[in-house]
Amino acid sequence: MDLFFQQVLNGLTLGGVYCLVALGLTLVYGVLHVPNFAHGAFYMAGAFVSFHLMTAWGWPYWLAMLGSAACVALLAVLAERLVFHPLRHASPLHPMIAAIGVLLFLEAAAQAIWGADFQRMQSPYTGIVDLAGVTAPVQRLLIIGAAFALVVIVHLFLTRTVTGSTIVAMAQTREGAALVGINANRVAMLTFALSGVLAAVAATLYAPINLVYPAMGHLVITKAFVIIILGGMGSVPGAIAGGLIIGLAESFGAFYVSDHYKDIIAFTLLVVILSLRPQGLFPNAAR
Amino acid sequence: MLAFENVSLNYGSFRALDEVSLHANEGELVVLLGANGAGKSSIFLAASGLQKACAGSIRYGDCQLVGMKPSRIVEQGVVQCPEGRKLFPGMSVMKNLMLGAYVHRRDKTGNRKRLDEVMALFPVLEHKQNDPAGSLSGGQQQMVAIGRALMGRPKVLLLDEPSLGLAPLVVKQVFEVISQINRAGTTVLLAEQNAFAALKIAHRAYVLERGRIVLEGDRDSLMSNEAIRKAYIGT
Repeated sequence: MDLFFQQVLNGLTLGGVYCLVALGLTLVYGVLHVPNFAHGAFYMAGAFVSFHLMTAWGWPYWLAMLGSAACVALLAVLAERLVFHPLRHASPLHPMIAAIGVLLFLEAAAQAIWGADFQRMQSPYTGIVDLAGVTAPVQRLLIIGAAFALVVIVHLFLTRTVTGSTIVAMAQTREGAALVGINANRVAMLTFALSGVLAAVAATLYAPINLVYPAMGHLVITKAFVIIILGGMGSVPGAIAGGLIIGLAESFGAFYVSDHYKDIIAFTLLVVILSLRPQGLFPNAAR
Repeated sequence: MLAFENVSLNYGSFRALDEVSLHANEGELVVLLGANGAGKSSIFLAASGLQKACAGSIRYGDCQLVGMKPSRIVEQGVVQCPEGRKLFPGMSVMKNLMLGAYVHRRDKTGNRKRLDEVMALFPVLEHKQNDPAGSLSGGQQQMVAIGRALMGRPKVLLLDEPSLGLAPLVVKQVFEVISQINRAGTTVLLAEQNAFAALKIAHRAYVLERGRIVLEGDRDSLMSNEAIRKAYIGT
């Protein structure tokens, strides 16, 4: 039974990180209909900036996370202004290809600055607590706590504040949003900034139990796409539920089936669920 | 107050508006009549800045609306209630209405007062205010759409086919409310296929065909115009 709860803990850790990444991806898709492949690069950039701030500048962990969130938010806004905004009237294929371009560009840039080596980020939280037989590294508990707190904050922001409502409004009816005087450009920049913050925080949370390297975003972004396809493209509750489902499925699959197949589970699940429910789990959910 | 001068609008190679000139004076209720595809919606899209006119000018007071951002146009007081309503279906009625006041978001007391006025105009919405707008009936959704536009405190209200798809009794209610809004001092530009009902509450009207204005006049002259009666009123 302890092993079961161990897997739940691991699944929630993974799920928390996936939720944050998928949330940013689904918000951008909902508002701008851009499948932002570059989101994986934002994630990678978030990890590297935190790593750099901590090792080269000696910033403490949480401050580095904040700094990284600010940097990646800026990076995301720049990508929106310089790449996606000029393509807003082009056929949907163009922003998609441009997103891949941004991904490759950012990866090459990271490699040029920090090298292609695997780096290890030190977390100040190296302790291990014993929760009724379940071994819980503090960093994992931190990931779960911080990720879910952030999901709640984002949810409150989207539903309780006027600024957050403009994002939801534009995702639901673009034209309606323009006709009440919502500035589409501002919402687009805000959404990209928010997605950047979420990616950077997710990366900084997860990096200490993983490695930091230029291609680290690949697997995360493909899984985030699986999650938002499962949850319904553009759906916020879908991204959260999907993130948890994939996280738990991976940790249980890795343990009960085989660790080698861990990364295949998400995609298998995608094929199975889409053949049963082609519309996704939360079709046109209240975004 | 709002004046189109030789406005043309193209969708690709299709000319939706061809040198349209029209105006609405302060306090007037002006009706645009015409079949589907005659260009009524294009006039509104151009006025709201959602489609850019390729020639001509749209003046509102001293402002030139051509080339202005949609959000700026709403701030100026030209507010559209679009065809198909374009509500936020997943949000509550209350939230839809409050987002209508988005450009006045800092004036909380003014918005609350305005909300009371809108609720007085559409008492049914009072009980529905926490329901998602998408769950309402067509007539109620239309009321939310008009209410949302009113929350933007329009000086000129652009109403695009508010009676579309509604039951006759509801249509009557909607037209009564529009007339009431106009009598309270708001200039209204109303596009309608329901010519008889629209002309009854109008001061003046324009008739559009294939992107051109083919006829204009005050209510009585159009009501008695033989061609109009045949084409649009059916008597």
